[in-house]
Amino acid sequence: MGTVHARVVVQHVNIEGLGRTKEDLLGYEISEVFDAKNLIDVMKKSHIARQKLLRLGIFKEVEVVIDTSDGADALPNGLDVTFEVTEMKRLTGSYNTMVGNNEGSMVLGVKLPNVFGRAEKLTFQFSYGTKETSYGLSFFKPQPGNFERNLTLNLYKVTGQFPWSSLKETDRGVSTELNFPLWRTNHTLKWEGVWRELGCLARSASFAVREESGHTLKSALSHTMSIDNRNSAIFPKKGALLRINQELAGYTGGDASFLKEDFELQVNRRLVWDSVLSASLWGGCLLPIGGRPSSIADRFYLGGPTSVRGFGMYSIGPQSEGDYLGGEAYWAGGLHLYTPLPFRPGRGGFGDLFRTHFFLNAGNLCNLNYGEGPRAHLQRLAECVRWSYGAGIVLRLGNIARLELNYCIPMGVQSGDRYNTQTFGGAGQTRLL
Amino acid sequence: MSLAAEAFVSQIAAAEPWPENATLYQPLREDQILLSDCASSLAVQAYLRMCNLPVHVSCRSNAEYMSPSGKVPFVHVGNQVVSELGPIVQFTKAKGHSLSDGLDDVQRAEMKAYMELVNNMLLTAEISRPRYSSPYSWPLNQILAYQKQWEVRRKMNAIGWAGKSLEQVYEDVSQCCQALSQRLGTQPYFFNKQPTELDALVFGHLFTILTTRLTSDELGEKIKSYSNLLAFCRRIEQSYFEDSQAGSSSRGYSKGPSLF
Repeated sequence: MGTVHARVVVQHVNIEGLGRTKEDLLGYEISEVFDAKNLIDVMKKSHIARQKLLRLGIFKEVEVVIDTSDGADALPNGLDVTFEVTEMKRLTGSYNTMVGNNEGSMVLGVKLPNVFGRAEKLTFQFSYGTKETSYGLSFFKPQPGNFERNLTLNLYKVTGQFPWSSLKETDRGVSTELNFPLWRTNHTLKWEGVWRELGCLARSASFAVREESGHTLKSALSHTMSIDNRNSAIFPKKGALLRINQELAGYTGGDASFLKEDFELQVNRRLVWDSVLSASLWGGCLLPIGGRPSSIADRFYLGGPTSVRGFGMYSIGPQSEGDYLGGEAYWAGGLHLYTPLPFRPGRGGFGDLFRTHFFLNAGNLCNLNYGEGPRAHLQRLAECVRWSYGAGIVLRLGNIARLELNYCIPMGVQSGDRYNTQTFGGAGQTRLL
Repeated sequence: MSLAAEAFVSQIAAAEPWPENATLYQPLREDQILLSDCASSLAVQAYLRMCNLPVHVSCRSNAEYMSPSGKVPFVHVGNQVVSELGPIVQFTKAKGHSLSDGLDDVQRAEMKAYMELVNNMLLTAEISRPRYSSPYSWPLNQILAYQKQWEVRRKMNAIGWAGKSLEQVYEDVSQCCQALSQRLGTQPYFFNKQPTELDALVFGHLFTILTTRLTSDELGEKIKSYSNLLAFCRRIEQSYFEDSQAGSSSRGYSKGPSLF
């Protein structure tokens, strides 16, 4: 053998330890290893193939063994690469109990990875509580050779309580979702059929909310396009995110009938001294079709520790007797400056999870009269803008969420909005102004 | 309602006079309302007209979900929402309108007894022949229709009516009508000269059974055999609903067909 740059030929690529996984699925993931020209290349390509095998979500462990080839047809510079895999168990279960908000519940989860051998996944979650029960069944199937193209089928029942509107909602639905990448963007096509049951949360609910109680059926097609080249979803240092979503309900059955558009844009840029400037913009509008008024369950809401800070949770905009009814059009924008903690305590370790941030948030939510022209609409959205500014500390929780403690000064408060100065909120990685 | 809640409602109610825009909500007339709901709604409308209190009638497909107790009809008066005849009578009493003030205790007890009789007999007879169509889209209309059917069946089981044959139901209704007819005698109303909530309730139920186009008319025939009950219904219709007969607006009143 010469140096690591000497020419080699990969003669065999094997996978050992397969049980129920079908081999044709894996062929696509490991095929590139055959193209390696020298030892360094073999190691790089094997590493990439290992990552690809792991992302299928069907193996607990993947180990790579590279050896010289032997056997009758062995070449002097031939190599054999073997992936030693450990499949996940057929069935895993979990059981939790949760207590919170005057309700206790037990949650049972069941997961079957790799059900039929081609990385299909079946998950079931069931939550039985003192007040409500909910469940969800989900089946995921990727296209063999193209994991990013996949299909998901969902069946669910969820209940939600929204004290800011004195509303409770029970949704029973079924949805199918198709994901596929196209050039640099990611697209999702989804059909969803939901039976929604709305009710008043308390006897003191306003009459406007009472009028929305009852059953509705929504059957909607939606399309989402997203481009995300940020380096992280929680504390991005650079990159941008653009997501555009449209939903059309009513043409495939049901009694809810509308066209809904909304978008989300976030841009991040690194500045001097390890600080990051982040700007985001959201907007959306709901256009009822066929003369029927929009339902409170479809409208947009604004306000709270994850959108316009300094205002109560979803407590901006049209309201009736203290219950917030949501609006048919909105926009919201935020400008943040993230810096490391002053004097950088705990640098290199715990301290890196924290950041201080200074922010400016603004937004507006209103109903539009679609008989007027777009100029009137823009004017309506531009007057009575709510905005706030402040500072606080942010903590990163793994790669899933972040926790904030802020001091805000709300401005432009309109009559009917609820506001407060200290806000404490967690946020997932998807929607954060 | 609990005693404390009643006291609270009375206090709030007494503060304001009856507004002009009071509204009564009931399910859609055409393809949704059940016989028993129609009777209850008519009873409440008759009562309010007897008290001379104006009310608009509004038909909504989600009326029973809007109601705080789940039962129709309900009235929206000022800020208050009150459902079913009993609580509505209490509510109007708190505002100073009452039809049974002139009765003594014995008569009042008698009135309550007859109202219970009507509720038990006639209401459940109406439930035994329900209609299950729905203004929602598929498959929601099927699901809700099954749910309703199941609920009604459960209710009938609870009061022991599940085993009753149609003949027995007619027999019970006949007995109820006989009792009412005897009590009414030749008087214009059940308690002589002035109508009370009992008159409104009896009118609501009898009129609905007599004019409904849905059932096979056996129930209607039973009632028609008691001529004083028939005359009673005509009299109330003439006195309290006739003013809207000529030139009624669509929001005005929703009695539907007439006895004439």
